[in-house]
Amino acid sequence: MMIKQALIVIAFSAAVAVCSNLISGSGIPFVGNWPSVSGSDTVAVPPSADEGDPPFISLDEAAAKFQLRDGVFIDARDPEDYEYGRIKGALNLPYDYLEDYWDEIVPDLSKDKQYIIYCSGTECELSLFLARDLVYNGFEKVFIFYGGWREWERAKLPTEGG
Amino acid sequence: MNGFNGFLRNDYLGLVVRLAVGIIFVYASIDKIAQPGQFARIVYNYHLLPGELVNLMAIIMPWIELFCGAFLILGIYKEGSVLILNVLVLVFIVAVGVNLFRGVDLECGCFTVSSKAKGAVLGLLIRDIGLLILTIYLFFNRSRRFCLIKTRG
Repeated sequence: MMIKQALIVIAFSAAVAVCSNLISGSGIPFVGNWPSVSGSDTVAVPPSADEGDPPFISLDEAAAKFQLRDGVFIDARDPEDYEYGRIKGALNLPYDYLEDYWDEIVPDLSKDKQYIIYCSGTECELSLFLARDLVYNGFEKVFIFYGGWREWERAKLPTEGG
Repeated sequence: MNGFNGFLRNDYLGLVVRLAVGIIFVYASIDKIAQPGQFARIVYNYHLLPGELVNLMAIIMPWIELFCGAFLILGIYKEGSVLILNVLVLVFIVAVGVNLFRGVDLECGCFTVSSKAKGAVLGLLIRDIGLLILTIYLFFNRSRRFCLIKTRG
């Protein structure tokens, strides 16, 4: 009897939970995209990082921000790389062609939002340089996902392009 | 042994523990229900579930806590709710224990999804064991005197 009761309570709770998640404005996808690679909670930091640089975040933190739509991803790589494949929804602000892109992209960015900057991965420092520029220009909520495209793709998280 | 049996069968003690555990779980569920995304992040950080199941767990578990807590307070489906809560607390203990063993700095996700609520993991474990003692007591205390539904089944 006890088990039957427990099953009823669980079924009832699950039904209400599913309905509430569908209706509620703060609902989340039923199946999430969470990285299932080991070491995804370690934060990669480039050797050239200085004190006072924007915070570096791990793949886990980047994935959490992505899922919670808690920030805008900015790809600092060249446009060809960006077109070939990028984190889903990311903007392109190629550091090597910054003067061509800055005026087109940056004035539309709200300084209240969070920005997650990435490039290829740990062999590339464009994300660090771009993040420094953004902070210098008054953006306060800037994060560097130094694991970058390589870690994101390896974890099979949502991408687009190609 | 009479004293121990009396302790197990005591209607008033049963009521007090029932209300306390019920209130703890209702309270614990509210913040998680309000912010499922944040809670999913915390569930993920325990690194115990496959990524595909993290969100489902984060969506459903707080509601189970809420209804079990509320049913306990009201005395509806008491036995079933107590069984679920015993299992839940055991799961919490295993989850926290594994991460204590791994040496992970854990966000509890117990009463709030605020990331400031990082507690010492050992403290969490002790708290969960305290809670387990209460739910085990309810498991063996079969008093129905103050229950809304008094019939078995």
